[in-house]
Amino acid sequence: MATRTTVPPGRPRAVDGSLNRLLEAFGHVPVAAVIRRGEELPRALASQVPAVFFLRAPAFHLGPLVWAVQARGKLAFVHIDLIAGLGKDRAGIAFLAREIGVNGIITSHSGLVAAARAEKVIAVQRLLLYDDLALPSALSALDHARPDIVEVLPGMIFPLVVTEIRSRLPLPIIVGGFVTEPAQRDAALQRGALAISTSTAQLWP
Amino acid sequence: MGVMLPAVRDGASLNQALDLGYRQVLLERGSLLSIVGPLAGAAHRGVAIFVNLDGVEGLAPDSAALAFLATDLGFSGVLSVKPHLLQDASRFRLRTIQRIHALDSTGLETGLLSLVSPAPYAIAIAPAVAIPQVMPIIRSITDTPVWGTGFISSAEQAGEALRAGAAVVSSARLEVWRDFSRTPVS
Repeated sequence: MATRTTVPPGRPRAVDGSLNRLLEAFGHVPVAAVIRRGEELPRALASQVPAVFFLRAPAFHLGPLVWAVQARGKLAFVHIDLIAGLGKDRAGIAFLAREIGVNGIITSHSGLVAAARAEKVIAVQRLLLYDDLALPSALSALDHARPDIVEVLPGMIFPLVVTEIRSRLPLPIIVGGFVTEPAQRDAALQRGALAISTSTAQLWP
Repeated sequence: MGVMLPAVRDGASLNQALDLGYRQVLLERGSLLSIVGPLAGAAHRGVAIFVNLDGVEGLAPDSAALAFLATDLGFSGVLSVKPHLLQDASRFRLRTIQRIHALDSTGLETGLLSLVSPAPYAIAIAPAVAIPQVMPIIRSITDTPVWGTGFISSAEQAGEALRAGAAVVSSARLEVWRDFSRTPVS
């Protein structure tokens, strides 16, 4: 194993290439396709979305799905908290990174952000907005974990908290969760979201 | 018609809710044990006290804590995402409100399909602001009464959730408690 260098605060250098590619692609097509079931994938592959988020894929049958995404020039992300069969730990992320070659992981847990950084994959951390009283501590946790991208859910809460989030976190934001209408997509993008994530195929350009 | 459930966190906010005439409160966050006296006093005077077991500090998530709430304090009900806790709570004649997060369609459906048996007294959707959009999904799966908690910062938002079919909406904002009592919900 190569000598590990100290990771600087903020973005790890090793993912800069794919992260920059993603940020630029979202500038043109600001949508990530959320895949809940395998049969939804072909339509996402045929669309122009630059990224595919696998929500509940079975870990040990994930490879061909991820590779199909990457063969189309798209980036593949896996939600490690929801994936079946895989430990929610460094070893689980190492499997996704090294054996499958995912471009990034999605998680709600700050501890897994550090593991993703160590494995040199893009870390998307979810900011789950179900309780306004918990928002300050959630923002502190994100500020400390410093993921590459924040995914804010659910979408209808984003306009209510965008000012507070952006004043605390200088990080790119994806808005997801119940983003099912063009007006909801536009509202998120107009308020400064980098992209939306949605399983509604009608919103995949 | 719907009900506003003030979410209190300390003795001062409890008194504010009671002074506004509310006869039901939710302890959503904070330390239960630091205001146990005033809460028990209110319960003794007939105020319905609900406790979010996932949010308060100082209680173990076990039967001893539930027995204390029900028998010693005379509280009315508990909220939690944890099925085993709710099943335990029903044995102590506490009303059980199962918290379900409405963050995306997959998570909401998973939560709705994991309703405890016997059926909870109600489900509490968080954030409540999502209720107008997600009510059709909820009603396609269950007829259980719907409460809402989280991100209600105006009487208008509370009214929208109630008009969408929620039976109870909670807010931690004093101005919402005030406005709401002046704004009848039809």
